[in-house]
Amino acid sequence: MKKLDTHQHMKTPVVAARSVGTRVLRSEDPRLLTGRGEFIADIDVPRQLHVAFVRSPVAHARITNLDLSAIRDAEGVALAWSGKDVAPFCEGLVGEMAVEGCFPTTMPLLAGDEVLYVGEPVAVVVADSRYAAEDACELIDWDFEELPAVTNADAAAAGGPVANPQLPDNIGLNGGASFGNVSEAFDQADQVVAGRFYTCRVSAAPMETRGVIADYEWSSKALRLWSNTQMPHYLKYMLTAYLGFPEQNVEVITPDTGGGFGMKAHVYPEEMLLPLLAREVGRPVKWIEDRRENLIAGAHAHEQYVDIAYALDADGKITGVRTHALGDGGAYHLPPWSMAVEPWCAAVMTPTGIYDVPAAEYTYKAAATNKTPVGAYRGVGYMAGTFARECLADDAARALGLSPFDFRRHNVVREFPWTNPQGIVYQEGSWLQTIDALEEMVDYPAFLRRQAELREQGRYIGLGLSCFVESSGESTATSLEHGLGDVYHDTATVRLNPNGTANVTIGLSAQGQGLATTMAQMAADTLGIKVEDVSVQTARSTSHAYGSGTIGSRGAVVAGGAVARAADVVREKVRQVAAHMLEASTDDIELVDGLASVKGVADASLSIADVATAIYFDLDSWPEDFEPTLEATQAYDPSQAMFSNGGHAILVELDAETGFVRFEKIFSVEDCGTVINPNIVEGQIRGGVLQGIGASVFEELSYDESGQILTTTFLDYGLPTMDVAPPFEIHHLETPSSHSASGVKGMGESGLIAAPAAVLNAVNDALSPFGVVLRDLPLTPEKVLGAMSGAKAATGSAEGP
Amino acid sequence: MSITPEERLDVSMTINGRRYRATVEARRTLADFLREDAQLPGTKLGCEHGVCGACTVLLDDLPARACLTLAVQAEGRQIRTVESLADGQELNPLQRAFREQHGLQCGFCTAGFLMTATALLEENPTPTREDIVETVSGSLCRCTGYQTIVSAIEQAAAEGQTDTEGENQ
Repeated sequence: MKKLDTHQHMKTPVVAARSVGTRVLRSEDPRLLTGRGEFIADIDVPRQLHVAFVRSPVAHARITNLDLSAIRDAEGVALAWSGKDVAPFCEGLVGEMAVEGCFPTTMPLLAGDEVLYVGEPVAVVVADSRYAAEDACELIDWDFEELPAVTNADAAAAGGPVANPQLPDNIGLNGGASFGNVSEAFDQADQVVAGRFYTCRVSAAPMETRGVIADYEWSSKALRLWSNTQMPHYLKYMLTAYLGFPEQNVEVITPDTGGGFGMKAHVYPEEMLLPLLAREVGRPVKWIEDRRENLIAGAHAHEQYVDIAYALDADGKITGVRTHALGDGGAYHLPPWSMAVEPWCAAVMTPTGIYDVPAAEYTYKAAATNKTPVGAYRGVGYMAGTFARECLADDAARALGLSPFDFRRHNVVREFPWTNPQGIVYQEGSWLQTIDALEEMVDYPAFLRRQAELREQGRYIGLGLSCFVESSGESTATSLEHGLGDVYHDTATVRLNPNGTANVTIGLSAQGQGLATTMAQMAADTLGIKVEDVSVQTARSTSHAYGSGTIGSRGAVVAGGAVARAADVVREKVRQVAAHMLEASTDDIELVDGLASVKGVADASLSIADVATAIYFDLDSWPEDFEPTLEATQAYDPSQAMFSNGGHAILVELDAETGFVRFEKIFSVEDCGTVINPNIVEGQIRGGVLQGIGASVFEELSYDESGQILTTTFLDYGLPTMDVAPPFEIHHLETPSSHSASGVKGMGESGLIAAPAAVLNAVNDALSPFGVVLRDLPLTPEKVLGAMSGAKAATGSAEGP
Repeated sequence: MSITPEERLDVSMTINGRRYRATVEARRTLADFLREDAQLPGTKLGCEHGVCGACTVLLDDLPARACLTLAVQAEGRQIRTVESLADGQELNPLQRAFREQHGLQCGFCTAGFLMTATALLEENPTPTREDIVETVSGSLCRCTGYQTIVSAIEQAAAEGQTDTEGENQ
């Protein structure tokens, strides 16, 4: 495994925490609360036309006739294109993951001779208004010959009808590895616990759908593209790499964005098509996805089967783990994350978790099916892998007659740094403390008494535990640590103004995480000024700082590091001038609480504002050879992989009449190192956990056997609502990272990563009097009622203890 | 008499205290009318089929889904949108409570929650937590986990009570 040398851009300054760690109210809020947010649908470009798509109504078919002439003749229509019209400009987007055993696909921007999933764009219409464009879509004249639809990953992987002719074996990814003596562990095991766990297909379903606006000016070859993407710089790169727009004249603009959660971290056909359409019609074009499109054509997520087994010795220690992840990838690899990322991450990144397991073996496979391509969703792969591992931990605890706390405590890693069988190094963590803290928070003995009492009354409550380790601050080092070669680095620009205030620009777009607030906190502490004197612009335009994308729980870590490094360059300038003005040594100058002071000398201080003013306007303040630029751009990339950790304990009650799972309370422990802003960390936990509850109980994108998607509205696809959302008790542990700025670790994904395991464990705990263990999501009332009726539950993989 | 969807009709309504007159297609939604014709884009569209609640506005003081309401149905009615809430250039107590309780993250659903909560607090200034959940559960949020939204509305109600008591003294 290649290791990273430490580079200059991986070192961050040590500063006094003033704003960091406090509950600073968000600077974003006043705009968003008054209707002054500017989301993509709110942006109108003069002379714009509107775009609508004709999408495939069938899962798999050969197009035998496609005639757009009636559309083109319709009133208000400026242009209509099919796949044949767009192919000369772009054959499609190549999708693959850079791991051994990944077989790439090329996804056309508009379908060619075959459609491969319901929702695949087949034609695009540009018209005066969205109303006119949608009306015109109805006029499409086409015939198709239906082909067998492949809708099941197991069947697809076994061969049979082909979902995508580019993948004749229906395999988009196939690989594996083994570390340590796994065979010996299983051969000599006192017992083996094993299970097959299923995480159903879901949608990230951000409240704001996707959207794109393109404006091309031929005389200057300038392209402006508005997209609510999580990866504006990558999108910009793609516009040049695939479409040939001159990079120096391309600007990607990311307005306020209404949630992303990974769905908006892909590059989609629509984002590539709009610039071509704008160039063709000579006018700006705008497309705002509707909710039906979002549910059928935005990336799907999660669907996979994870087979996992622990070898346990006579002491109840896990001596080996085997994991096989099989993802249902949909019809294409969606760049850049592809259908591979879900099973690959589950198999490679999660099996050891917090447990001191000496041997691990995994295989991963992604099967192509005639469904919407699967992509990233908040903790991609981590959720399914954590789900399987933590639910198997409960199976093991039951097999050993231990409490879920005791089994975990018995196997948890206690000494750091710890290197797992694959060679992944965990520098620090509060893994044991998490288990202890959760046990205390839930008052486990009291819970057991209450559970027993309620059972007497015919009421069934259950407590489920789930502990996680989350790879955070996605970086070059993280990528190398996991055997990949992806390179990340982000920049930030910090400018100190003449009145001692600062402007900061970061390369990451924000989707609600409050980055403008937390980055102001980081900059303020580094510069020694007040947080309200810092204004942060997140990546609204690729013309400013560079970013590798708001993904992988990296925002706070990576943007924070870049901000701290850039602010530190400015800080040094201020220290030099303050030293000159105070007739002291630069080394003795501290910048804290708005003052530049000489260490240890009372009254020897100047306000930072006065120093800034002097740098701009007073030549006498400058030391010899001083260079007065108070603006710096610096890059950052963590020098090592870093992992946050924590856990959730979820308390549920099953309704014996309806099978409905009621959530009574969530107990969460989070250790993301230094907490920049507890409000924001807690918000991420609550929101992520509720998404996990959704993915466990309420949400499923379902298909019938013909590959028709049945969940195309928010009536069919049920997001969790306020009346089912439980209260939280959140406990922070702080084990700072040894190498990030201020010791911050990322945590945006942990709620969704770990909650579903806790939900299933809680439901299985509640079901324990019935002798049934469920393993498939979602936990619908039908499945729960089936289990409570004592029958082998409705799911094929449910089984008795 | 039947009207085709594309037929243009005159409509007039009062939005945030200001009178608007326009000629619109019969099929034009109130949401599109507010966002595009009246240039009030604070009302958001999250699903366009009446489930998510992001587009909730007050129609004669009652919450209504602007995506399922036609502009012509608002003829002669009073409409309030999120743009009406701030006190001059200050957040009103409800907005301030959302900020203090971290009741929003991406902010896309927020206008709908604010308008539904506004109607609730006007009808029932002292709602219990259960009343709030009962009333506001018709709106979807994907970021917050909801609890901080309930707390924000509770806080605004409590502050409203304090204000009223102050006035009565």
